[in-house]
Amino acid sequence: MRCNDAAGPLLPAAAPGTSLVDVAPAWLCAAHTRLASPGPHPVPETGLTLRGDIGGRHFEAHPTVRGDGSVAWWLVDDTGHQLAREALRRERERSAFLAKASNVLLASLNLGRCMDGTAHMAAENLADAALVIAPARGQRLPVVTCVRGGAPATTTVTVDLDEVPGLAEALRGFPPVPSRWIDPATAPGWMTPERFGPVGSIVITPLPGHGVPAGALILLRATETAAFSDEEEAFARLFAARAGAAMSAARLYAEQSTVSDMLMRELLPPDLHQISGVDFAGGYRPSADHERIGGDFYDVHPATVEGAGALVSLGDVCGKGLEAAVLTGKIRNTLHALLPLADDHQRMLSLLNTALLSSHHTRFATMVLASAVRRGSAVDLKLTSGGHPSPLIVRADGTVEEADTHGTLIGAIPNVSATTTTASLAPGESCVLYTDGITEAKGGPMGDDLFGDERLKRALAGCAGMPAEGIVEHVQMLAAQWLGNRPHDDMAVVVISAPRTHHLSAVNGHTRGRFTA
Amino acid sequence: MTTHPNHLELTTVDAQDSVRIELHGDLDHDNADLLVQEAVAQLTARPALTDLYLGCADLGAVDSMGLCALLMISRRTTEAGVRMHLDDRPARLDRLLTLTGTLDHLTAPPPAGSVTPSITGESAMAARPTGPDSTT
Amino acid sequence: MRTSTSPRLPHSEHAEESARLLWNAVSTSDEHAAAELVLRMLDDGADPESVLLDVIARVQGRVGEEWAANRISVAQEHAATAINERVVAAVSVHPAARTAVTRGRITVACVDGEWHGLPARLLAEVLKLRGWRVDHLGAQVPTPHLIVHLHNTRADAVALSSSIATRLPTAHAAITACQAVGVPVLVGGAAFGPEGRYAEPLGADAWAPDARAAADLLAEEPLARPETDHQQSDDLPHLADQEFTVVSRSSASLVRHVLTALEDAFPSMRAYSDLQRERTAEDLAHIVEFLATALYLDDEALFTRFIAWTAEVLVARGVPASSLPPALDLLARELMDFPRASRILRSGTHTLTTAHSTAAGNTA
Repeated sequence: MRCNDAAGPLLPAAAPGTSLVDVAPAWLCAAHTRLASPGPHPVPETGLTLRGDIGGRHFEAHPTVRGDGSVAWWLVDDTGHQLAREALRRERERSAFLAKASNVLLASLNLGRCMDGTAHMAAENLADAALVIAPARGQRLPVVTCVRGGAPATTTVTVDLDEVPGLAEALRGFPPVPSRWIDPATAPGWMTPERFGPVGSIVITPLPGHGVPAGALILLRATETAAFSDEEEAFARLFAARAGAAMSAARLYAEQSTVSDMLMRELLPPDLHQISGVDFAGGYRPSADHERIGGDFYDVHPATVEGAGALVSLGDVCGKGLEAAVLTGKIRNTLHALLPLADDHQRMLSLLNTALLSSHHTRFATMVLASAVRRGSAVDLKLTSGGHPSPLIVRADGTVEEADTHGTLIGAIPNVSATTTTASLAPGESCVLYTDGITEAKGGPMGDDLFGDERLKRALAGCAGMPAEGIVEHVQMLAAQWLGNRPHDDMAVVVISAPRTHHLSAVNGHTRGRFTA
Repeated sequence: MTTHPNHLELTTVDAQDSVRIELHGDLDHDNADLLVQEAVAQLTARPALTDLYLGCADLGAVDSMGLCALLMISRRTTEAGVRMHLDDRPARLDRLLTLTGTLDHLTAPPPAGSVTPSITGESAMAARPTGPDSTT
Repeated sequence: MRTSTSPRLPHSEHAEESARLLWNAVSTSDEHAAAELVLRMLDDGADPESVLLDVIARVQGRVGEEWAANRISVAQEHAATAINERVVAAVSVHPAARTAVTRGRITVACVDGEWHGLPARLLAEVLKLRGWRVDHLGAQVPTPHLIVHLHNTRADAVALSSSIATRLPTAHAAITACQAVGVPVLVGGAAFGPEGRYAEPLGADAWAPDARAAADLLAEEPLARPETDHQQSDDLPHLADQEFTVVSRSSASLVRHVLTALEDAFPSMRAYSDLQRERTAEDLAHIVEFLATALYLDDEALFTRFIAWTAEVLVARGVPASSLPPALDLLARELMDFPRASRILRSGTHTLTTAHSTAAGNTA
């Protein structure tokens, strides 16, 4: 073999006459043997350049077959290029990982699930095991642990924060601290997952929240795995920033939804059941599917004095959504305060009217008040409408009667009046209170008809003898099917029924408590 | 097929001491404010007004917010000593007003000049030149 | 497992007899007798899961059959279901049904628009008996409510129930939404077709034929956390042809056109009362809705099964099914520019003609 001057330093053993096998790396020799062997030489395809390492650097080798059958190898130093390629590949992997991390983390507003996702992804991509710790008051901290290849597991550990250097600062989120190495020998027992084996290195990274501390991420590597490089640690911080943002968002969401749930609980319609031998059932569907409250309301209040009737109120305030719901809350509270007058519907409506009048607006409510009291096996009703569609009474034979009561809407005009009517329900008969969201439901097979009073009455005619819940469900289903996917107003239905079964035990006996839960 | 929302359009016609607003389309949640604004603007701009006519011949659906708007205009006209007239009422509107017990209130306003106590307990300021918009 | 060790399982003929007695009480709206019957069974040591699934679920199945055969009305069906619901509630508070939580947390819900809440309710009770912590959201759950619930709780899985095939597009949206927040979905109910064949194309993580199988499946191993970057449109590439969108969106005008054309073709229909006309329009709207669902899933069988069932129901109600083929023909004429819809409607017509000849063959 021969070589030029440049090849000399690269292959110091190469002297004329030596064999290539003795001086050049195996990959080059193998290629040479292939090329120099007799027979048709496969022409190296472009793009399949031969590459390999020589003395710690990386080379491309380009052969030229000369006339005498010898081969000249041109070696081109490719090290910089190769490093760049390697860096690009790593960078691509990392951005793919961060994109996936964002995907997983953004998906959930549930803190627990965010912690699971964070621990799982960190264990799969950054370390051999990962722990995610959420900040908490006191010393009991929720911890999610995940070992590579395993599933995240949640535990609560009692931690002396000062026992682990850097953990307190990381959990407090202030002052901003960099990742911190701790000596695996000093790490507390809870930090090492079961059956993990000896720990090689541990790094604690704060999860930066948005104004609220989001927690800490602890990465563990086994002794046989290389320790974290600076670059890896910097990358872990990038991941931690995303995880921290997601966890603090989940935390804020949880706090907000606790608050709104608490406030909303007051505005949600109550669950109805039997009171003093009278069956009540109610159903409500707000206009917007993402809301649970709206401008319709109903309540059933047990009698405040012995022998008086339970008071049912059902109504509709003008407007929709939260604003309307807040007004329903005011009305329901006021009616509650007026319960001692429950027997005098007109006085109640008049006082409610005065309470609601405002110089700023003419937002009003229409409503029906119904007093229901069991007498023998029948239920006596007193019904008063304040500008609301009249209740419908479903008789045992399927006749549907409209209660004869009329009055003024409440909350917009200084003087209101109303008439009260009475009715009696025999066993199996019902009185249906509803809001116009039902009758004004627009749809049907042709798409633009109102559900209307007549259709409602016809449907109720088929409901004779049905239990109160069955009627509510039937009416709600018909209205929903009529609507299809079209927008609609709030819809509320309350049914008052005289129970069909007249076993006294069903009213007062021990069985009642067992099946009216 | 979805029905297209029937947007409210208003046409205002001035006379010497009266204003007529023609209502075309639905008076509902989405556009009831439009009518209140127009009516209040007229009341404010024309202190000498005696009559406000709302032409309802082309009025479409009226929902609870629409009725709320009519009640507000009625309150404003009463305070300003102006008679409100709901002209050419479609049967559907009459049914709504009857059901809610507001037909008499909205169609038989007190004669001009009479002072009706407002709900705030203040006397109605019929003579106030700027109109009673300070409460809005 | 309780099924292998429990000596309290009633024999199957015992369960059958109990179901017969319960049906008697339920079908006569005797709520009191129904509750007493079931509570006595539990007092006597019957297994609550068996009472729920072998007695109450069996009675509920019969309610549906009786309705299809026109032996009870829709209102009676609702009345019976309401009583069954109360009976389930009675079982759930009986001391025999008191179970400690030993497993994870499951959310049980019906797809929006799904009013048949009892199957989901039964599953919720069975899962409680098996030691799960269960959040039962009930019938007709709008997807946004379901997702808010999942954000607020840490459910291991959602069990989604649907009995009517036309709810499947909505179910698909719900399944995708749950998975997008990282919660796997088990589906069940008649809507998902024979052997649950629509569960997979809609991307569900698991399917179970009934409550017992669902409970067994969840007990076996936890459902894997779904990938969150799943694209709903990847599940059903045929939707790109827009046929589903067009047919479902123009349902009302299709119904109107076909109804008018039917009246032209059958002068006797002009004498229909408004109510009869509305019923016919409702039937047409149903056909269009099932056609749209068949387009959504690209499955002719979904449509032909519905058509065959409709024909049976009509016959049970003394209405000749002969009105169906012209309706399908007229729809096909309206939709002749849509190859998939045309194909599905043709197979519907084919089903009707072959069903007739089979029926004739059977009677001969």
